[in-house]
Amino acid sequence: MTMDCESVRRTLGAWLDGEVSEKESREIRAHVEACPSCRAERSRLERLQFVLRAALEEGASKVTFESFWHGIERRISQGRVRHREFWDWLRPVILPRRLAWAIPVTVVCVLAVLFAEQFFFGLGWGPRSNVAAVESIDGHGFNLALLRESETKTTVIWLFEDEDEEEDEPAPEAASTDASL
Amino acid sequence: MAPDVKEEQRVIVEPSDWELVRKCQTGDVGAFQELAAKYYQKVFMVILGILNHREDALEIAQETFYRAFRKIREFRGGSTFYTWLYRIAVNQCIDFQRRQRRAPAEVREAIDELLYERGEHGTDPYDALEGKEVMSRLLAALNDLTPDHKAVIVLRAVEGLSYKEISEILGCSEGTVMSRLHYARKKLQEKLAHFL
Ligand SMILES: [Zn+2]
Repeated sequence: MTMDCESVRRTLGAWLDGEVSEKESREIRAHVEACPSCRAERSRLERLQFVLRAALEEGASKVTFESFWHGIERRISQGRVRHREFWDWLRPVILPRRLAWAIPVTVVCVLAVLFAEQFFFGLGWGPRSNVAAVESIDGHGFNLALLRESETKTTVIWLFEDEDEEEDEPAPEAASTDASL
Repeated sequence: MAPDVKEEQRVIVEPSDWELVRKCQTGDVGAFQELAAKYYQKVFMVILGILNHREDALEIAQETFYRAFRKIREFRGGSTFYTWLYRIAVNQCIDFQRRQRRAPAEVREAIDELLYERGEHGTDPYDALEGKEVMSRLLAALNDLTPDHKAVIVLRAVEGLSYKEISEILGCSEGTVMSRLHYARKKLQEKLAHFL
């Protein structure tokens, strides 16, 4: 006996399934023929397989094809009524694999919109850039400036003393220019 | 018959199955009925083994064939038809079990019901009483395995599929199939120690 019981037990199932190499198969067969304990184990495995199959066969034997097919047919006709077939045809079309071209196209469209926006605002077509927005509130003695930058989603709240009436406005304007750069 | 699918891809599909599949792809329900008649029992057995509940298994088996019918145009003959079909079946079972977690008592009842009916119409190939007891224990023990382990042992028992075919169905390696089978058998043997 070249193989020990433990290694035979490990591969006994695969051997019965015909899933071991020829060399290994010969070794296992030789061991099993000579070893009563492994022979008994082989019988148990075979019986387990037999009982499992018999149990499932028994469970399935009571289902006639007529009744089984009826359930499938019902689904098929219901599916047709609900236009599921149409959806099945449509689904591959909207699957990412088929729509691989849509991703770069979407990216290009978004970039185009952003560039167009910058281009138009660069020409002074828009009243104020969307890229950065500055709002200011005048108070008695204090001014509040709010800078919103959409790209990085940054909000800067700017609180400063009203020292000189003429300097109130330029300060936020300068911030706006900086932010849009 | 000049299929527009690559010749080398369809050689492993049984010719008769392939003919029927081709007809199904043109919307021939009769051809699909022939395929269903050929495989329904084994598909049902596999699903029954995984779900251990007859009504659920029947429902999922019919759903499996319905899905196969709907997806048949996607089948290109790169595998055998039944491998493709079992893959749908196993996925349906896993989806179903994810959706519906049955209480252990319900499963117990389902097993008892299955065995009661078997007792009534018993056609056991060996001693009825002994067979009933072993089957009862076996189904209960099977239920304690994970769906992955159940799928492996049931696919092997029902269809005698090769490890390669099982690995294709379950999307795992042949080594995994072998180790899952070994584990599943060991567990079942432990629980049926006095009956095997
Ligand atoms: Zn031994």
